[in-house]
Amino acid sequence: MNKYFQQALKGIKASPSRTFLTTLGIMIGIGTVILVLSAGEGFKSYINAQIDAFGSNTVIIETSVPPSTKDRSSGQSSSTANSSAVNAVPITTLKNRDVEDIKQLPNVKNAYGASIGQQIATYGNVSKNIFVFGADASRFDIDKGVIARGRPYTTEEDKSLSQVAVLGHDIAIDLFGDSDPLGKFVRIGNYNFEVIGVYERRGSFGFSNDDEQIFIPISTLQKKILGTDYLLYSVVELVDNNKADTTALDISDILRRNHYITNPAQDDFKVSTQAESLATFNTILQAITYLLIAIACISLVVGGVGVMNIMYVVVTERIGEIGLKKALGARHKDILYEFLIEAILLTLIGGVIGIIGGIFLSFIVSKIAQSFGLTWKLIVPISSIIISVSVSMIIGVVFGVFPARNAAKLNPIEALNKE
Amino acid sequence: MLIDLKDIVKDYDNGGIITHVLKGVNLSIDEGEFVAIMGPSGSGKSTLMHTIGFLDRPTSGEYFFDGQNTKDFDDDDLAHIRNERIGFVFQSFNLLPRTTVIDNVMLPLLYSNIKTGHRHKAKVALEAVGLGDRIDFMSNQISGGQKQRVAIARALVCNPKVLFADEPTGNLDSKSGSTVMSILEQLNKEGRTVILVTHDMNVALHAHRIVTIKDGEIISDKKVDAKDRIHSKIISD
Ligand SMILES: Nc1ncnc2c1ncn2[C@@H]1O[C@H](COP(=O)(O)OP(=O)(O)O)[C@@H](O)[C@H]1O
Ligand SMILES: [Mg+2]
Repeated sequence: MNKYFQQALKGIKASPSRTFLTTLGIMIGIGTVILVLSAGEGFKSYINAQIDAFGSNTVIIETSVPPSTKDRSSGQSSSTANSSAVNAVPITTLKNRDVEDIKQLPNVKNAYGASIGQQIATYGNVSKNIFVFGADASRFDIDKGVIARGRPYTTEEDKSLSQVAVLGHDIAIDLFGDSDPLGKFVRIGNYNFEVIGVYERRGSFGFSNDDEQIFIPISTLQKKILGTDYLLYSVVELVDNNKADTTALDISDILRRNHYITNPAQDDFKVSTQAESLATFNTILQAITYLLIAIACISLVVGGVGVMNIMYVVVTERIGEIGLKKALGARHKDILYEFLIEAILLTLIGGVIGIIGGIFLSFIVSKIAQSFGLTWKLIVPISSIIISVSVSMIIGVVFGVFPARNAAKLNPIEALNKE
Repeated sequence: MLIDLKDIVKDYDNGGIITHVLKGVNLSIDEGEFVAIMGPSGSGKSTLMHTIGFLDRPTSGEYFFDGQNTKDFDDDDLAHIRNERIGFVFQSFNLLPRTTVIDNVMLPLLYSNIKTGHRHKAKVALEAVGLGDRIDFMSNQISGGQKQRVAIARALVCNPKVLFADEPTGNLDSKSGSTVMSILEQLNKEGRTVILVTHDMNVALHAHRIVTIKDGEIISDKKVDAKDRIHSKIISD
């Protein structure tokens, strides 16, 4: 075997620039496979982080504009319900009472209702336009955010409309700089709130950035700041996540009863389980991954044909050399292996450069994602490397075997004379 | 008898146009002989050499090598014979470009059953042709005469019984030519069968027997008297 490698390596070393150009297609194909699979994993890690932040065994209730209302308001027909958080029409039916009722379900461990208001927050001479996030104290048991300093507010503080606040990591720095915010008062709207806690840095999830928000009791937000009594959404923590689907149905039943809805088509809410969103997400991600891999495979085949072409050229170029080797005793098999190994080495070189390039690009993608504050891990699946290497070897064999056989079949004296 | 040709015919068929090159050649060569095949250009000398040297198969006729009918040999058998039992020297040297002298000489060993001592064997062969000091030169950094001596070392490296040389001095000046001829003489003296093709009488007269071929047929087959023989000396360059 070693002797075939030596001869094949010599062939490759004879023209490095041609080797590079020949293997470009393979490089691009394999680099793409690595990048796609790695980006898929990175995206998954991002989604998982987002799901984890809500708690992984939770059900989310969002207010949602019923189709008929939506038709009237925008004149567009839509079969799916739309979140009122994104639409201009506010839905005012989700109440603290709904959350209390849902808490009574046997499979529900805990739940909180939440709403958001946009306010100016001021400390000293620093003012910032921020989102004030109001939630039940039970949010601190469900949500995975970690309070770095101080403490969360309590249910009693919520019930008594206390003016206490927990700050996101970034807003704490924006308002207080290096000084300790704990025990100081920040002005939100017309009220002074005592800072009782500061969160650790979390990174942003999609369009919301917890680090720039201020968290206060829901009752205080509703009664003192917003002057409303409804919720934007609610997060429900389950005892047994395997029963999420039936619990989601039970939740829907309670909400319909409380909201006097008889026709499920008129639902003013949307209940989604994490398992559901994860499954949908995975299906979409799989489809995208397969599509991109298909594209990468096309470029691999194109690359393989490139290698085959070059190998035909190489056979023609070295026809005299092949004749000589046969005249000196090389068998059909010897010549075949030399050219086959040369073709495999060519594709492997392309493959290795492609793998390095793919990993490098994946690294860049993860750095870019992280620079946007996304929780994005750099994961290069071993499977992607195994797939790429074996695919490039197979391409080398498949596309190399035809020119190699042509070379091996040459009659020694004809080959010698052709030089 | 080492080589025994019976009624060898070789035709070339180029798209229906058939050229009759060898028209029934009968020839026997014993082990240890030094034979020159002479004849005008185009008479079929090279074709005959290629046939005897297992580089090509005859169209018809029988070829016994060392008592065996070569019809029974498959392609791998022929490759093995070319590798270990004969050595071939070409008019135009046919060294591998971008390759060192010693690597060129080691090439046949690569395809042989000999697994070890390649470098040492190649060195010994190069010393035998007086090129022990050129082993690491590139094949294009040496003179024509030296190239042909490298080719002889390559032909010798597997220690074959027979050496074929097709116009080995054809591309050389007379000085290098006589060095090459003296090496061939020496190899024959050591017991190797040497078969040489040439159209030059001064080269042919180094041999002990001259076979003349014309239009694909042998027209004469004569021993060379010892007193008529030409002997060359190694002329250093
Ligand atoms: N592959 C071939 N196809 C057709 N004709 C050939 C081929 N090889 C050699 N010949 C012809 O055979 C004849 C003998 O050629 P060759 O054996 O090379 O002669 P020599 O070596 O004596 O000069 C020439 O006429 C040549 O044109
Ligand atoms: Mg000739």
